Amino acid sequence: MTPLLELENLEVVYHHVATAIQGVSLRVSPGSIVALLGTNGAGKTTTLRAISGFLGADDAQIVGGRVMFEGVAVTGRPPHDLARRGLVLVPERDKVFETLTVQENLRALVPGRAGRDGARPPVTLEQVFHYFPVLAGRSRQLAGYLSGGERQMLALATALLCRPRVLLVDELSFGLAPLVVETLMTLVGRLRDELGLAVLLVEQNAGAALAVADSGYVMEHGRVVFDGTVERLLAHEDVREFYLGVGQRAGRKRYTEVKQYQRRRRWF
Amino acid sequence: MAFGGGYFKTTYAADLALVDTRLRRVTLGLLILALLGLPRFASSFVLDLVTQTALAAVGALALNLLTGLAGQISLGHAGFIAAGAFTTAILVENRVPSPLVALPAAALVGAALGVIVGIPALRLKGLYLALGTLALHHVVLYACGEFQNHWGANTGVSIPPPRLGPWVLKGTVAWYYTLTAIAALVLILCVNLQRSRAGRAWMAIRDREIAAESVGIDVARYKVLAFVWSSALTSVAGALFAYERAFVSVEAFGFFLAIEYIAMVIIGGLGSALGAVLGAAFVTLLPYGIDAGVASLRVPGGAEYYLFPLKFGAFGLLMAAFLVFEPQGLVGIWRRVRNWVALWPLRYRPLRSAS
Repeated sequence: MTPLLELENLEVVYHHVATAIQGVSLRVSPGSIVALLGTNGAGKTTTLRAISGFLGADDAQIVGGRVMFEGVAVTGRPPHDLARRGLVLVPERDKVFETLTVQENLRALVPGRAGRDGARPPVTLEQVFHYFPVLAGRSRQLAGYLSGGERQMLALATALLCRPRVLLVDELSFGLAPLVVETLMTLVGRLRDELGLAVLLVEQNAGAALAVADSGYVMEHGRVVFDGTVERLLAHEDVREFYLGVGQRAGRKRYTEVKQYQRRRRWF
Repeated sequence: MAFGGGYFKTTYAADLALVDTRLRRVTLGLLILALLGLPRFASSFVLDLVTQTALAAVGALALNLLTGLAGQISLGHAGFIAAGAFTTAILVENRVPSPLVALPAAALVGAALGVIVGIPALRLKGLYLALGTLALHHVVLYACGEFQNHWGANTGVSIPPPRLGPWVLKGTVAWYYTLTAIAALVLILCVNLQRSRAGRAWMAIRDREIAAESVGIDVARYKVLAFVWSSALTSVAGALFAYERAFVSVEAFGFFLAIEYIAMVIIGGLGSALGAVLGAAFVTLLPYGIDAGVASLRVPGGAEYYLFPLKFGAFGLLMAAFLVFEPQGLVGIWRRVRNWVALWPLRYRPLRSAS
C-alpha cells in the first residue's frame, strides 16, 4: 500500500544553528493510526511542526529531506495550504478560540472552495456531534469555559470539519485524566474505523497511544531509533520498560538507572 | 556558544568579569585606543557623527531597559527626553547652568515621571500601554510648550556651554570625548543592570509574567523600577542633548523622535545592549548615508528638489526591509557570524549526544 504521508530523511535546524531532528523518515498509510513516541526533547513535536508547516514561527527551518503527501512533495508549504489539502494539525496548546462559542469555533474555519478538497466527502456538523455529543450540549457556551478534555474534543471536532485525510495530533493526553485520555483515544480509533482517517499520534503516554495505534515509531535525540507494528513495539523490552513501566529486568526499575550507551547501542 | 569545551570559570571574580577572555580584552583595548585616537585622524564631521551616535546610544540603551528587557513598549520616550532637556532649560533660566546640578535634577525628574507613568502602566498591556505612554508624551510636550511660551523666548531657550569650575566644555573634540565616555558608562551600567537581579526579573516578566510572579518576583515593583531606570537615564540623555545642541525647543521632541528610538532598539535587536548601540549608530547614520548616496548620483540641478522627499521614503523603506529580513536586528547578524565562526567547518550544531 502506498503511504499517504511519507517523511524522507527530514532535518530541522532551529535559529540557523541548533539541529533538532536529523534524518527522520516515517510513513503513514491510509486508514491507520501511527504513534510517534519519545521522551521530552526527542524531536516529536518538531517533526510534527515540520510536517504541518508551523516551523517558521519558532525560527526553525527544514534543511534536508522532504515531506510527501499523496505522492506530492509538500515540504515547506504554508499551514493553511496543507490544511486544505487534508493534512490537519491538532496542536498541543492554544487549540480553541476561547472567546468564541463552541458553535462559532466549529464554524470558524473557512469553508473549502471547490478544488483540492472537493473530492473529499464533506463532514457535517451532525456527524461531528455524533462523535462528540458533549459538544452538542454546550454549543452555545464560550470555548474558554470548557474543561481540558472538552477542549481537546472541540479541537478534534474542528479539525474533523476540515475534512482531513491525515490528522496530526500533538499530545492528545496533554494534562488530561487517564479516563478522559482513554475516551479520546477510543474516539480517535472510531474516526479511523468509521471515516477511514489516517492519524499521526504524537504521544508521551505510550500505553494509551499503543492501545489504539496500528504501528509506531520511537524517537530519541532527534532520530527514529525503533519502529514497527504495535505488537513489535509492545514486545520490545526497552519500550516496555521505559514507556510502559512494566520492565522485567530485575534490579533496574528506573529510567535513570540505565546507562545511556547501553540503551542506545541496542537500538542502533 | 561554545559546546563541548572552552573556558571554564574557576573563581567568582572570573564569573563576574565583564570581559573574560584574552581575545575580548585585546579587542576592547583596541577599540578604546581607536576611540581615543580618532580625533587625530578623523575630520570634525566624522567626530560629530560619533558624538551624535553616542548621545543616541544613551537614549537607546535606556529604552532597551524598558522595552527590550522588561518588555513594556513605550511611545513616550521623546517625552522623557524632552523632560530632561527642559529641566536643564528651566534651571538655566533660573541662573543655575551647572551640569552638576542639571544632570542629577534631570535624572530625578525623569525618575519621578517614571513612577507617574509606571504605576498606571501596571494595568496596561500591549496596545493600551503604547497609547498610555503616547498620552504621556503629549502631556509632557504640552507642559514644555507652556514653559517655552511663557518664560523662554517663543522659539526656544538657549543653553550656555556647560562649565565645570574654570573648564568650559566646548568644541567638537571635547564633546566627542565627553559623550563617548558617558555613553560607555551608561553601556556598562546597562549591561550590569541586565546581569543583576533586576535585569533577570525584567526578562522573566517579559517572557512570562505569571511564571515570574510564581517564583517570587514582585511584578509591580520591578515594572515600575524598569520605568524609573529607563526614564531617569533617558532624561539624562535629554539634558545632555540640551547642552550639546545649546538650544532647547519643543519642536525637537516630536513623535518622530520617539519612533526613531523605538526603531533603534528594534533594528539593533531587542533586549541586547550591544544591539541598542548598533541600532543607535544605524538610525543616526542612515540619513547621512542616504544623503551621500543621493549626492553621488550627481543628478542635474533641479531634480535634487524632488529627491528630498525620497530620502524620507528611503528611510522608512530601509527600516521596513530591515524588520522583514532581519527580525533579530543587527545583533542577529552578529550572532550568526559568531556562530558561523564557532561552528566552522560545520554549518549547524550537531544533535545533542548522550555523553
